[in-house]
Amino acid sequence: MDPVAERTAHLKKTFGIAHAFADHRDALPHIDAAIVGIPHQYHAPVAIDLLTSGIDVLLEKPMALTTAECDAMIAAAQRSNALLAVGLLRRFAPTLRWTKDALDAGLLGRVHAFDVREGLVFRWPVKSPAMFHPSCGGVTADLGAHILDLLLWWFGDCATLAYRDDAQGGVEADAVIELTMANGVTGRVELSRSRDLPNTCVIRGERGTLEVGTKTDSTITLTPAGGHAALTGRATTPAQQPPGSLVDLFAAQMMDFVRAVRTRTAPAVPGADARRSVALLEACYRHRRPLAFPFEPLLVNVGAAEARSA
Amino acid sequence: MITPLTNATVLVTGATGFIGGRLAERLVVEHGARVRALVRNFGRAARLARYPIELVPGDLRAAESIDRAAAGCQYVFHCAYGSDGEDDARRVVNAQGTRHVLEAALKHRATRVVHTSTVTVYGDTPDGPLDERAPRRRTGFAYADSKIDAEEAALAYVDRGLSVAVVQPTVVYGPFGNTFTTKPLQMLKSGRVIVINGGSGLANLVYVDDVVSAMIVAAVHEAAHGERFLVSGPAPATWREFYTAYEAMLGRPSTISMTPEEARRFYKTAGAPHSTLAAQIIAALRHPAVKRRLAATREGQLAIRAFHRLPAGLRARIGGPGVALRGAANPAASDGDARPIHPLHPSKIAFMAAKTHVRIDKAQRLLGFTPQFDFERGMHVTGAWAEWANLL
Repeated sequence: MDPVAERTAHLKKTFGIAHAFADHRDALPHIDAAIVGIPHQYHAPVAIDLLTSGIDVLLEKPMALTTAECDAMIAAAQRSNALLAVGLLRRFAPTLRWTKDALDAGLLGRVHAFDVREGLVFRWPVKSPAMFHPSCGGVTADLGAHILDLLLWWFGDCATLAYRDDAQGGVEADAVIELTMANGVTGRVELSRSRDLPNTCVIRGERGTLEVGTKTDSTITLTPAGGHAALTGRATTPAQQPPGSLVDLFAAQMMDFVRAVRTRTAPAVPGADARRSVALLEACYRHRRPLAFPFEPLLVNVGAAEARSA
Repeated sequence: MITPLTNATVLVTGATGFIGGRLAERLVVEHGARVRALVRNFGRAARLARYPIELVPGDLRAAESIDRAAAGCQYVFHCAYGSDGEDDARRVVNAQGTRHVLEAALKHRATRVVHTSTVTVYGDTPDGPLDERAPRRRTGFAYADSKIDAEEAALAYVDRGLSVAVVQPTVVYGPFGNTFTTKPLQMLKSGRVIVINGGSGLANLVYVDDVVSAMIVAAVHEAAHGERFLVSGPAPATWREFYTAYEAMLGRPSTISMTPEEARRFYKTAGAPHSTLAAQIIAALRHPAVKRRLAATREGQLAIRAFHRLPAGLRARIGGPGVALRGAANPAASDGDARPIHPLHPSKIAFMAAKTHVRIDKAQRLLGFTPQFDFERGMHVTGAWAEWANLL
């Protein structure tokens, strides 16, 4: 489904798709399940239509930008007994799964702090301005949805947060979130669409430091407290061996969705679980303060020349 | 600050780029203008989208899209140019695209169009002072030559009743810049950069905000009508100073001096293999994602073990991102630095050798334009940005 005829024609031709629709409502009589990967502001209205018709939905992250929308989708799914799975893809990455297991097993002892830096100079092949509409959110809703979900998965609930971003009437390209989790772990998250950052989460605990690549085929580096050498490697599962790729993760996510649909059991990330990261997103935007870049104070009076001559 | 641009509807082409992006930002923040940006590739609009800027889909090659975007605009800043693709396609974007912008501005009765040209319209410039009276010279390179066509096309509209001003920036650098900011930093990091004659040529540098200020003045100042203005910094630096500033940010020297003749010869021998299929395949195999996948195979593991048994010098030649040195005849082989040298495109050699001093007297006299960033201040801000941008 795509409202632009040119793109549906391209999809039909490229993938040999029999039916393509300009409106999701036209597709309802023809489908059993739907993968919804549209701009965030349309997630709730479209997913609610689908769920209300009893269609199982795999919804891209972020589930929505407000918990009210999440609740409406969860309620719609409950009413019709349809499945609502959310595409928080990184839950399927062996490295990030291993990190969860290692933390749960107490590998680092008591965890003190984490530091996430994730960013890339944005160059996704975006076809319309909808993704940059204020109702879609910016980098926090986009990359932040992944990171906030991982943090909640690894460390449990968040107690307090402070949030700053660089939006000035539009959507943010850079953001910084400082969090204190309910278990006392504190941390900082730096997100960017304008810089290539290391894409890592460094977790410091009493027994050592774990550096985990936050992307999909990343490495883990474990340094024992007071240690002189680090252990670096990749996590594997029977189904996912290195080098691993984004395609493997999407495949794992699809398999999970298909399993959930066939067995009528919960998907890996049901709506109620994904709602937790949306609550944090909502809190970020509610408590938003402006983010100043370190080079900006050096730019005072840049317009002095034109002010004088104009 | 209330200015003639406050609440005016302003079209910016090229607003997802370096100069256009900073211009759009300052038009909104400092002037309170209603900015409309013509966007071809929304994937590049992330920074622009931070502001309440209207993002209008369009392409310089499609006249009707420009016409839609220009409707109701009092001011038009034309910053877009053909930045990718084949030479012919870039020529079309620069020359025909500019005509489309001017035609739309004329039709919709824009108060002023500011056309962004470049100092390269003057071709290979001689040593000594250069001002707007110098002849425009073709060099045979698509970008420079088509910018001459674009500039001529823009000024031809003055006779048709449209108010046009042309700015000709020199070497523009600053936060979020590519050609003279990010790219030199990346090249200095990944290998060695050729400077001509020890970098003694003059780099007529201008910090991005000074270019933007000049463009804004050119949009609103009466005296800018029908005129061209060179826009540069307060004084030229040398290319040696330019690269030294970046080397200082990175903490190590990474330049190598060549004469123009040596640089040309080096380009022929080191640059030429990239045009063959084999070189393209080798370049593709060096891509990190491809390397990772190949390295995970059994054959890949064997190849890696064999590679590590090679002598260090040979390993460096195979493994580097740029072009490795070949043979002792090479001017750099004797200094013991085995890092690959980035070939310098022939179109840049004369440009870097020249001791041209671009004069901005006309912009100063007619527009009252005074650059606010000398080399030291501009590089100070750029360094702070580069650190934040994780480029160092």
